Amino acid sequence: MTNDKTQIKKLYALSSENKKFSFTIPLKNTIRIGKRNYEVKLKSDEKYGTYILWKNRKFPVEIVRSRQNKYEILFNDISYTFTVETPFSLQRMKVLNSKKGKVEQEFVRAPMPGKIIDVLVREGATVTRGEPLVILEAMKMQNEILSPVSGVVTKVAARANTNVMKDDLLVEIKL
Amino acid sequence: MNIKRILIANRGEIAVRIMRTARLMNIETVAVRTAVEPNAMYLASADIIFDNTEDVSEIPVFLDIEKLIAIALKTKADAVHPGYGFLAENAYFAQKCLDNKINFIGPAPDAIYKMGNKTIARKIALSGGIPMAMGSEGNISDEEEAVKVAEKIGYPVIIKAASGGGGRGMRIVRKSEEMEKMFIIASKEAEKAFNDASVFIEKYIENPKHIEFQILGDKHGNVIHLGERECSIQRKHQKLLEEAPSSALDDKLRKKMGAVAVQIARAVSYHSAGTVEFLLDSEKNFYFMEMNTRIQVEHPVTEIITGIDLIEQQIRIANGEKLKYSQEDIKLRGWAIECRINAEDVQAGFAPDPGKIESLNMPADPCVRVDTGVQAGSSIVASYDSMIAKLIVRGKDRKEALKHTKMALDKVWIKGTKTTLPFFRMLVRHQKFQDGNFTTAFIEKDLEKYYFNSEYEEMLAAWLATKLFVEENLSDNSKNIDFEHGKEMSPWLLNKRINQF
Repeated sequence: MTNDKTQIKKLYALSSENKKFSFTIPLKNTIRIGKRNYEVKLKSDEKYGTYILWKNRKFPVEIVRSRQNKYEILFNDISYTFTVETPFSLQRMKVLNSKKGKVEQEFVRAPMPGKIIDVLVREGATVTRGEPLVILEAMKMQNEILSPVSGVVTKVAARANTNVMKDDLLVEIKL
Repeated sequence: MNIKRILIANRGEIAVRIMRTARLMNIETVAVRTAVEPNAMYLASADIIFDNTEDVSEIPVFLDIEKLIAIALKTKADAVHPGYGFLAENAYFAQKCLDNKINFIGPAPDAIYKMGNKTIARKIALSGGIPMAMGSEGNISDEEEAVKVAEKIGYPVIIKAASGGGGRGMRIVRKSEEMEKMFIIASKEAEKAFNDASVFIEKYIENPKHIEFQILGDKHGNVIHLGERECSIQRKHQKLLEEAPSSALDDKLRKKMGAVAVQIARAVSYHSAGTVEFLLDSEKNFYFMEMNTRIQVEHPVTEIITGIDLIEQQIRIANGEKLKYSQEDIKLRGWAIECRINAEDVQAGFAPDPGKIESLNMPADPCVRVDTGVQAGSSIVASYDSMIAKLIVRGKDRKEALKHTKMALDKVWIKGTKTTLPFFRMLVRHQKFQDGNFTTAFIEKDLEKYYFNSEYEEMLAAWLATKLFVEENLSDNSKNIDFEHGKEMSPWLLNKRINQF
């Protein structure tokens, strides 16, 4: 963050798929498409909760999570994650990214709360991508949690017949 | 009518659905209040509420046979409707009801048992000369036998739980190297889900359509069918969208399959509503899969095209009345589509997303029917299924039904959990789906993206993220946004509120 807030002329919202949306600051309540400006309104009422009004249509919106400059937004039932960057932070990020090495450790986490039915791997086991690691029961469905990578299991945190919360660590795999 | 008071041994939308018909028939209903959802919507529809909130046992009351019988006796209910799931296909429960002189609104225990045990059901079908996918003659005892049988039938094969249903305990095996592991997983899953580890093996039919026939039978030996439903849009054997009729059937095939369905029901002297499921391959060969001896989640699509209230028929049949329809009376009119709006995260592989429904607005339109057991303020709890509502839409033909569905989907408004809505919005726009050109493998094979977002939606979300950033970081005091109507609230405040929640 810069000390002189008024200096910022532009902000960028970067999506998780690295799409870049730029906005001029001060932020307008209009978005330009082609040659026309369309009004965007953020509203809220008893019946609908918070929504965005755009071209005469209401879209439900929700801020699911925000941490520092990272926002997860639910827009019309679909989640989008953005990091909002200033021209300076964007530049710094580019430099950092070019220096960053590859990920070596994969953390497999529970995609949903549920109960561990079975653990199919042990520490030291070699797994291939797509191999089932854990069977997790959630809402009457048994789900195989598949390995997203190929590698060696370095830690098994999941225990059979225990309950896990969403995002609890199940298995660690070294690539 | 001898039935005066029905205990609803179920919850959610099906409890609401049963009570709606009971009310029209001037029959009283008893619902059970549980500690898990003491303020559930279905309770509002009941004449009598049995309070079971002190019961904190791990087994839901809807699975507790002794308890349910005791409740029925205590509340002087003379009949029990099991709905679907829970004990709906439990022969012992049905028998227990009868032993206590309580009318079970469903088939006889014997029919439930025979059709519930897939190995026996296969034998019945086999002796009636009914087409089936090749399979093991009985249950498979171990991995070695499984490998042997599969070699004989030829891969791919499917391992199924003998007592199974609803996709649990099912595994597709494509090569013999996978058999051992899959066999163990399938029988473990079967043991866990149905208290019965026995499994059998069947030839796996690649890319079939799922076609099922609605059956009605009375206690006087009359059995008819109410046409078919197509439920090919499914994921991991969980149905997502159903329609009636099916674009894959013509009158001739409908007649042929319907006759087979009736034959199967007759073989077990079936009474009440039931469903005979078939797989239909690309050459229009059909294979008997199983019979579900209960009301189905997707029963409304049949109700719409036949004009027959299936719950009413179940009650009348249980009451001993003769069917007032013959096969010739059944006329299929128009087209109906049902979307199962579940609290699931389509972007995370349909993972359940339980939570509190903050707001819920459904379209009010003559061509739309909504069956739901939740309202704003209700919670989708992790201990039950993830259904929020069934959106059932009609049209004079498939094209019109699709058009109406597309419009209705845009009018559904649910906040609080993620839902399957973006999936359906994509589906109704998909060319292959529109053409009727889809099989049970559609979701796995034909889809690149599981959801639909219209142009500019992502950009608008980006605008909102930027707006939040500006509010939080660039303005000295959070300025309110221009609200014309409604309460004033900045997204910054909204954000705080969500963090607290």
